[in-house]
Amino acid sequence: MPTVFEAPEINWAAIAPMLVVMAGGLIGIVVEAFVPRRRRHSVQVALSVVALVLAFVALVTLTVDNRVKTLGGSVVMDGMSVFLQGSLIVFGLLGVLTMAEKFGGDRPDAFTPMGAAIPGSAYEAAADRAGLATSEVFPLALFSLSGMMMFVAAGDLITMFVALEVLSLPLYVLVGLARRRRLLSQEASLKYFLLGAFASAFFLFGSALLYGYAATTDLDGIAAAITETRPGLEPLLVPAILLVLVGLLFKVGAVPFHSWTPDAYQGAPTPVTGFMAAATKLAAFGAILRFVYVGVEGTRWSWEVGLAVIAALTMVVGAVLSVTQTDIKRLLAYSSIAHAGFILVGVLAFSTLGLRGVMFYLLAYGLMTIAAFAIVSMVRQGGTEATQLSQWAGLGQRHPILAATFGFLLLAFAGIPLTSGFTAKFAAFAPAIESGTLGVVLVVIGVLASAVTAFVYVRIIVLMYFSDATSEDVVAAEASPLTTAAVAVGAVATVVLGIVPGPVLELAAQASELIR
Amino acid sequence: MTTPLEIGAGETALFWILAPISVIAALGLLFARKSVHAALSMIVVMLIAGVFYIANEAPFVGIIQIVVYSGAVMMLFLFVVMLVGRDASDSLIETIRGQRLATVLVTLGLVALLTVVVGQVTWGGAVGLAATNTETGNVTGLAYLIFGRYVWIFEVSALLLITAAVASMVLAHRTRLAPPPNQRAWAARRFREGKHLAGLPAPGVYARHNAVDTPALLPDGSISELSVSRVLAARSQVASPERFADAQDEIEREIEEGSER
Amino acid sequence: MTNPYTPMLILVALGAGFVIFSVGLAQIVGPKRYNRAKAEAYECGIQPSPQAAEGGRFPIKYYLTAMLFIIFDIEAVFLYPYAVAFDQLGLFTLLAMFLFLLNAFFIADAYVWKRGGFEWD
Repeated sequence: MPTVFEAPEINWAAIAPMLVVMAGGLIGIVVEAFVPRRRRHSVQVALSVVALVLAFVALVTLTVDNRVKTLGGSVVMDGMSVFLQGSLIVFGLLGVLTMAEKFGGDRPDAFTPMGAAIPGSAYEAAADRAGLATSEVFPLALFSLSGMMMFVAAGDLITMFVALEVLSLPLYVLVGLARRRRLLSQEASLKYFLLGAFASAFFLFGSALLYGYAATTDLDGIAAAITETRPGLEPLLVPAILLVLVGLLFKVGAVPFHSWTPDAYQGAPTPVTGFMAAATKLAAFGAILRFVYVGVEGTRWSWEVGLAVIAALTMVVGAVLSVTQTDIKRLLAYSSIAHAGFILVGVLAFSTLGLRGVMFYLLAYGLMTIAAFAIVSMVRQGGTEATQLSQWAGLGQRHPILAATFGFLLLAFAGIPLTSGFTAKFAAFAPAIESGTLGVVLVVIGVLASAVTAFVYVRIIVLMYFSDATSEDVVAAEASPLTTAAVAVGAVATVVLGIVPGPVLELAAQASELIR
Repeated sequence: MTTPLEIGAGETALFWILAPISVIAALGLLFARKSVHAALSMIVVMLIAGVFYIANEAPFVGIIQIVVYSGAVMMLFLFVVMLVGRDASDSLIETIRGQRLATVLVTLGLVALLTVVVGQVTWGGAVGLAATNTETGNVTGLAYLIFGRYVWIFEVSALLLITAAVASMVLAHRTRLAPPPNQRAWAARRFREGKHLAGLPAPGVYARHNAVDTPALLPDGSISELSVSRVLAARSQVASPERFADAQDEIEREIEEGSER
Repeated sequence: MTNPYTPMLILVALGAGFVIFSVGLAQIVGPKRYNRAKAEAYECGIQPSPQAAEGGRFPIKYYLTAMLFIIFDIEAVFLYPYAVAFDQLGLFTLLAMFLFLLNAFFIADAYVWKRGGFEWD
């Protein structure tokens, strides 16, 4: 404990992007309070976009030259933080665009007019007629995004925990606000919330044990404590690390902590699913990278095998269970579980190249995921989303461009060459092979699991192009420029990162440095 | 650097008395049939945790534990118990077979693992605790940390609070879609419809009972259906007025008997 | 130095003693003439309704009140150490506290207030 008060040194340039996003969310709440109902939606969308663009500008102009540890060590803006925060802002921008989609209506299509109304009640119908809309989703998304930006840059376990909560709480609410199939959405929200709280408890328990071991929660302090010996305290270390990892692996949806993923992905409003699949995964992997690489790498031999088993399980279970799915959102959820396993293989490489591969993978995966879920939100039958796979039969004949884009994104998920998925898998797996026998085993499992998932994706493509439609009224909704832009950015990025990945890989390589 | 851990006799006694109570209360939280009992068990657990914090020379944290957790958070719990219904209880049917057994096994495994691991640890004494508590002061020391080293987290926790406020508004507040009809509007409507110009009859007021679920009696002794809400009638929650009349006579008799004794 | 918890223990003992004394004394000297009216929930003699509306459940709007109370409570937790060490914390912390309250108190409650969260009807 300090004996006199000392204000910490603050490098404003380093934290400017986070501050801009937070301020955007706070102003959004003020807008909710004082702007008339009719104009809230357009004001919120404009505000969110402006805040995110400003944050990105601040990141590339101010933060890149201020790679420091600031605020007493709470915030570490190193290369990894800058790269991941930049990716997060891009995901946030695409996410906001898809959330703002109206599909020709007079308000956002994905969100309920009144979250407090009982599903199917007369009040809900009246709220719908009155033109109400839950425009709070935009500030909530910004809060969540600011939590994620903190999460990837957290220099101690307490900051990491608070960031985890800041990113999770708004997501729990967003998941429960779907406009259609609201009971499913509320159930998803409750499941995500309960299991998330459970995982947070594991994280806290592990942090407490680590504090007992190292007498500090700073990751560099923990690393220093591991290199010294702590007589009498050694038994604490491995359980503490594993408990913290449980809390973090929950957020990426690694097996056996994945059970919330399909339900939450299926129940959430589809734009929120896309946002959280891309951004939460990236943020949680950022935290895992920092915790594992900066904090506890010194005792790697004692927990590495455990993490490798989880990675193998995640790949296998995610790939195998995606074969049996009949709902497109659940299928993409299991696919995201499998991808979490592939990314973990890159994490286990424990090298700068591994760091580069993981960061590239997270960016590429996030871009294709947001675009894929945006397309899912466009395919409709009778006004509601057609998420059953059988409804997608023959879509390629009626909407060739849409189906082709989706098919291309699926090929990228599978990791077919000339897509960003292939480059990403290569960038993550190659360092793992160099790292040793364990890495080679994991890569073999990863390639086999990729083959299984490729089978699933190809089956969908066959379904879209070579099956007859079961019903004629499955159509793609007329999307506004907002969703079209999000899909276009995702698809174009998937092409570009697949054909000329050089510049971005170079950028990721430059960003592969951690301030310890 | 570290001094061996010394625990006084008083603290040992405190621990061995309160810790078992805490464990029993925690088990009560798990196994209580009624949600109110579970909430009360939780209050016991939280209070004892607060006492332990104080015994560990962290008085501020101890008091906060009691004020915020046993006070505010438990109040929220009890509100939720009220929201779901005091008598509501969980269904004890397993939806996935073998789930409960698996849970017990995994939990016992985790407990055994942690017990073995933590049991092997030899703890040193606290470093710098006495100096902080006597020289800097317990609360002042915390203030230095909260507003110094951890000021970023302090500020960011405001985002959590604002998210909590927004979330509870979004999920629990129903916006009024139209201004509520005032007395004048009601009166105008009654006269327009030409029915019940003087308003509907009030529910029954008896010597020992008056509530909206009890109908009034008409001059001929029959029940006035108009005096209770149609909603209550549809839910068959309308009380019968006879029993209030009977109960009244009985009580009057008992009071007379009691005063003669 | 005397133990700072001694006054607290004395207070607890006094409180417990008072309760035991008064309840015990009432048992001994009080008249015992029971009838059913005395055993009832309300002394006015009005019997409680068998069940509250909605099957014993309370409306969800109470939840908002409870949540706002917890938010106030947590703000108070931060205000206490600030008040204790106020003279040593300086302008920096004053601004930090101001920003915290602006966000967690003024903006949050402006939103709740303007959206009708404080209205009870």
